[in-house]
Amino acid sequence: MGVDGSPPWSPGPGLPSVSGMISLTGLTKRFGGRLAVDDLTLDLKPGKVTGFLGPNGAGKSTTMRMILGLDRPSAGTALVGGVPYHELRNPLRTVGALLDARAVHPGRGVRAHLLALARSNGLPASRAAEVLEEVGLAQVARRRAGTLSLGMSQRLGIAAALLGDPEVLMFDEPVNGLDPDGVRWVRHLMRSLAAEGRTVFVSSHLMSEMQLTADHLVVIGKGRLLVDAPLSEVLASGSVLVRSPHAGELAVRLLATGVRVERRGENALLATGTTIERIGDLAHEAGIRLHELSPHEASLEQAYQELTDGSVEYQAGV
Amino acid sequence: MTTMAAEWTKLWSVRSTWWCLLSGAALLIVGAVTIGGGTATEYLREGVPGMRVPVGEQVISAVSLAQFALVALAMLTVTSEYASGGIRQTLQATPIRGRVLAAKALVVAPVLLVYGTLSGTVAALATYLTLAHPLFGGLARLSPGELALDLLRLGVVVALAGVMTIGIAAAVRSAAGTLTIVFMLLMGLPLVMVMTGLPFLVDLSMRFPMFAGLAFMDSSVNMTGGPMPYGPLEGLTWLVGWTGAALGAGYAVLRARDAT
Repeated sequence: MGVDGSPPWSPGPGLPSVSGMISLTGLTKRFGGRLAVDDLTLDLKPGKVTGFLGPNGAGKSTTMRMILGLDRPSAGTALVGGVPYHELRNPLRTVGALLDARAVHPGRGVRAHLLALARSNGLPASRAAEVLEEVGLAQVARRRAGTLSLGMSQRLGIAAALLGDPEVLMFDEPVNGLDPDGVRWVRHLMRSLAAEGRTVFVSSHLMSEMQLTADHLVVIGKGRLLVDAPLSEVLASGSVLVRSPHAGELAVRLLATGVRVERRGENALLATGTTIERIGDLAHEAGIRLHELSPHEASLEQAYQELTDGSVEYQAGV
Repeated sequence: MTTMAAEWTKLWSVRSTWWCLLSGAALLIVGAVTIGGGTATEYLREGVPGMRVPVGEQVISAVSLAQFALVALAMLTVTSEYASGGIRQTLQATPIRGRVLAAKALVVAPVLLVYGTLSGTVAALATYLTLAHPLFGGLARLSPGELALDLLRLGVVVALAGVMTIGIAAAVRSAAGTLTIVFMLLMGLPLVMVMTGLPFLVDLSMRFPMFAGLAFMDSSVNMTGGPMPYGPLEGLTWLVGWTGAALGAGYAVLRARDAT
């Protein structure tokens, strides 16, 4: 038994999947007169990487802080495994979070920082060394946190999140300041944490990063939920690129079937709201030669742009 | 218990703790020796036969200043976390906020109690050895039983000052704000009030932590020339009252405000 009567800490993947669910219901946060988070309702499920996207000031960090019990919601609830965060005993064993990599006492040693966290939740001191090894910081265990580079600080923050071997992991902009190797490492880490059945919730402003990492996307703008859907669905709102010497004629026929068509230069069209198969068949029936017929996947970047247009809090005057 | 273990680890893993302890002891020793030397010189000049300089009293007089180094130690356990943002990690690990505040107080108080008493002992010995020198006429008076009680009370006073500081720091969060308020309670305000000479204000000033602590340590140094208006026990009561109020304020803010 642990010091405070809790069961002894045990490593390994025997993770009950239901308890790793995060449920937000009508979650709202008001700062003065401004709504930072507006009536957010969604479930984050285990075994997936859920990407959390939104422009600066959209309320991503505030949402994460409310889940962690750091900010008190103005209305609504945030539950982890069915209970509010503050009711978790030894919460680091359930939820690991990296909010701000630089939020460590600069004068405290890397290992001491983790050791204090481990002790606070009755975790064995050996966990500090284990997670340092895992994130590749074993060499700098004795250095003071203030002397670390931003990339190393990110790794230390990730080490702290992993300390309690939690079922839920939340990362706020984890690849900030990491070199390409580090970015790949984080990507792989997220994937493998989700593959172990954990709930992984990652915010990022790097849309391209999410495209490579996330299974599911949550997009918010001005604190309001815009999208809560699988990544594939968000991307499938794409269109088809057609090149043909008779592009004009094809465009007319496509428009007649209710497809939205956009002219891309002399010989090319961008058709939205149809499929490659239907365009191919149509062209064949009409005897129109095609030089190219390819899926034009909206990059997540583009999809995101369309989604958040009009919900940007701080916009540069262009 | 686990929260206290974490606070203990955090306390000893930053250099500022050691610097505060070191300067606290240095201030206390140098202060006590200087004040003792001054008193002895005065007695010698006045030539009062039979006058002796009680060692404990000199150490107690030096606490008024030296305690601020120990107050800084207590303050930093809270304000350094707000300054760095580490408080968010602390509250993630221990979301029951009262438990965090209690753990900080329960870790800092015994450290200051023991350290205050020990460094007071060193200061008393240094003062005694200095005053035993013929230069000061060998005027030192040291009665072990009395001194032991003085030093123990000194430890209690700095421990309570530390806990009061933790409460204030949790309420205002910044180091500058905390130091200002603590300084005002432990020195600034009561001194100003005494200096006005207005009976009402002088009387009120005696209830401030500064004079309450001195009263508890059975010191007669109250800047008024008269005796303390109350005894050691009432002094302790006022001190505990101030400490409780500060902790209460800290707890209320810690609970109500977002931890950003």
